Amino acid sequence: MLHAEFERRRLRNRRFSLRAFAALLGMDSSTLSQILRGRRRMSARMTAAVCARLGVPARERDALVGEARTRAHERRILRQVARAGFVARSRPLARRLRLRIDDVNAALARLLRDGRVQMLSTSCWAVTGSTKER
Amino acid sequence: MTLADPVVHWQALVRDPDRAARFYAACFGWTADDANALGYRAIPAAGRGIGGGIWPLPDGTPMVQLFVEVPSVDDALAGAQANGANVVIPKQVLPDGDEMAVIVDPEGIAWGLMRARG
Repeated sequence: MLHAEFERRRLRNRRFSLRAFAALLGMDSSTLSQILRGRRRMSARMTAAVCARLGVPARERDALVGEARTRAHERRILRQVARAGFVARSRPLARRLRLRIDDVNAALARLLRDGRVQMLSTSCWAVTGSTKER
Repeated sequence: MTLADPVVHWQALVRDPDRAARFYAACFGWTADDANALGYRAIPAAGRGIGGGIWPLPDGTPMVQLFVEVPSVDDALAGAQANGANVVIPKQVLPDGDEMAVIVDPEGIAWGLMRARG
């Protein structure tokens, strides 16, 4: 989203700089640079703040924030599944991560669909792909 | 044509499972029970009809998915792929021992495959 917005603004004004864009978004330019280069992820909170700065419509904002939140949940679940002694159940996972069980299961559904987690047996789930975000 | 492998379960994939459960309870008198390892809101059949459940949808369009019971999920997946289906979720062994997978048939319809624990 930020890539497209930055390019759009640069097309309108060739002198529009990364620093100016960062100021517009309310973040420092090194953070923005890392995000644009894929070195840093935007949290749900950061996504919401950026959307507010850019005047993103509510529906699109909610989708973007929800996506950022689910991605964060996926990363946390993957870390847990990879741990020794992991209990292959959604409820203890939700308790440990202090998440709603529906949030755990929504993220789990996507991890299963993307082939990043597999339920191998009644008591064993495995991280099957890269733990890095796709 | 007969239904050799029966449809045994439906699953509502929804954005807000709590809201969906309240709606189904109010409109159809369906009672969801989530006292299981996944917190799956199971809605068992009471007499006639088939049971189902509610599962949170991470993205995409809310839908109802039907599950076909097969003797072997592995064989059913192989057969489905040989006949042009795509596997969306490969075989998973659920905490209660049931096995499930999801395919999309050549018409673009998503079907669940399942084999109840032995």
